[in-house]
Amino acid sequence: MPDPHRIDIHHHFVPQIYKDALIALGSACPEPGYQPPIANWTEQRSLDQMDEAGITTAMISVTTPGIHFGNDAAAAKLARQCNDAGAKMVADRPKRFGLFAALPLPDIDASLKEIAYALDQLKADGIGLYTDYESGGVKFLGDKKFAPILEELNRRKALVFVHPTSCICCSNLQPDIADAVIEYGTDTTRTIASLVFGGAAARYPNIRWIFCHAGGTMPYLIQRFIDFSGRDKAATATAMPSGMMHELTRFYYDLAQTAHPGPVGALRQIIPNSQILFGTDYPYGAGCLDQVKKIADCGFSAAELAAIDRTNALKLLPRFA
Amino acid sequence: MAALTRIDVHHHFVPPAYRDEMNKKRPMQPCMQTWTIQNSIDDMDKAGTQIALVSITLPGLYFGHVEEARKLSRLCNDYGMEMIRNHPGRFGLFAAIPWPDVEGSLKEVEYALDTLKADGICMYTSYGDRWLGHNDFNPLFEELNRRKAIVYVHPHAAACCANLIPEVNESIIEYGTDTTRAINSMIFTGASARYPNIQWIWSHAGGTMPFLIERMVNLAKIPQVAAKLPNGLMPELKRFYYDTAQASNAVALGALKQVAGASQIVFGTDYPYRLSIEHVEGVAGAGLSKDEMIGIDHRNALRLLPNLAKLIKA
Repeated sequence: MPDPHRIDIHHHFVPQIYKDALIALGSACPEPGYQPPIANWTEQRSLDQMDEAGITTAMISVTTPGIHFGNDAAAAKLARQCNDAGAKMVADRPKRFGLFAALPLPDIDASLKEIAYALDQLKADGIGLYTDYESGGVKFLGDKKFAPILEELNRRKALVFVHPTSCICCSNLQPDIADAVIEYGTDTTRTIASLVFGGAAARYPNIRWIFCHAGGTMPYLIQRFIDFSGRDKAATATAMPSGMMHELTRFYYDLAQTAHPGPVGALRQIIPNSQILFGTDYPYGAGCLDQVKKIADCGFSAAELAAIDRTNALKLLPRFA
Repeated sequence: MAALTRIDVHHHFVPPAYRDEMNKKRPMQPCMQTWTIQNSIDDMDKAGTQIALVSITLPGLYFGHVEEARKLSRLCNDYGMEMIRNHPGRFGLFAAIPWPDVEGSLKEVEYALDTLKADGICMYTSYGDRWLGHNDFNPLFEELNRRKAIVYVHPHAAACCANLIPEVNESIIEYGTDTTRAINSMIFTGASARYPNIQWIWSHAGGTMPFLIERMVNLAKIPQVAAKLPNGLMPELKRFYYDTAQASNAVALGALKQVAGASQIVFGTDYPYRLSIEHVEGVAGAGLSKDEMIGIDHRNALRLLPNLAKLIKA
């Protein structure tokens, strides 16, 4: 593909140490388990995919099932090892890769340390979070438990990439339907709602949020969001002094796994083009080039597409200019 | 008064005896407490609705006791039929059944469709941890398929997913999501293809299904999944009907149209949770053509309910 220019905001790396961790869990490995896309990933395959799809830079992150499998010390170690492995990929090819560093949440203290290490020592480009964490029940990102993390990310004006997981409520609900089909998107919607209605989005205005998959299902449910925000006007004014749409339209949204005129059309009705980012979800999906072709059929103008492919992301990541 | 041209497939009624029973468990919401037949008619008149197909909304009929569920279903269905008789041409009924009581549900289907001549059956998206495509439903679906019945499906927050986020009411995200789960269940278990004569109406523009279409398309490409879908994915999605309740806006209806086609969208309001006129205004502002809007008002619903054609003088 000619004219390499794209920045892929949603691209996974799978260092050997992470493969080993999932293999060691065996049948205890949470969804989606140790699957072929993860097992077969190599750095070279990523580069080949990127070249084929005109991607100059991939922002790499650890995918589901994440870092924390019940043991804080093991999670802290795995996060550190993954971040070191990611930082090496970036050091080897500084213009081709950027890093969203992993945190050992829900361990708050270890995560604060990892934020400092990743952003100060490794110079990671941002932090990768998951949509929810299990800690005495399910906690979404707007939960007060995560306030110390969001305080620190706000202080640092951090770029935060939020990747879905299947909530513990909703894993393996139906044998015929993988969690990824419905539950990932829904969990993104839940954490957006938690951040917005819980007040954290407005309280930490310097965090630059990126949500996956066109916002999960949030755009489709926008009428419910709007009606709910109008129900208790005092609560809404406290949680969102600038209004709900102010928060929703300052977030960024990638197009991974949603490149279809239906969802893309819905997203564009409520979110300005400046907030939409190119993303592939590689090694999931049907390949990076497939994603480029699908996005081309979603009705964007050439100027809009140029912004989505590159310049919107450059505003967040100027070092790739 | 303007001509009454609309058919509302998503409109709730609250039989007083049902309300009394529910209030003993946990007080119903204010709009349920104040519902009357006359309020429904006034709301319909304001919105140009000729006929509303009424159904029982949450908390449903079954609370762990078969006898109670049978009794509640019967009293609701009889009350609905009384409304129809007393207000000719204004109401139709999607009858309640005491599911997961199989025997009682089959009996109530027979009573509702044969004796009461109800227009269809109302079901919920999930019962406990079973979504509508689960094998448990086979005996019921066999019968509904044989009768070419209309099944109107109403969501709730599934057992898995109540009270997940303290600041967010579960109707915001979980209702829509459970509709998506039920649609996916119907399709990917093969039940939709196995029972092709059941005519499905899904609430709230399909929940969130249209937004997740890429995921569904990818799932349907897996060979062992495709083997269960003799017609493929899209023909199933395009034969279902989807109502406009709480989704009467350009965002949802635009995406739904792309996925299912405008011919499958039917007017629904969720009264008394929301007003019918809001939905008239919402559909009008959703960027649809005049012809598509006429389809939503009544023409699409008349394909399901041809007997209503004599009532609509558009």
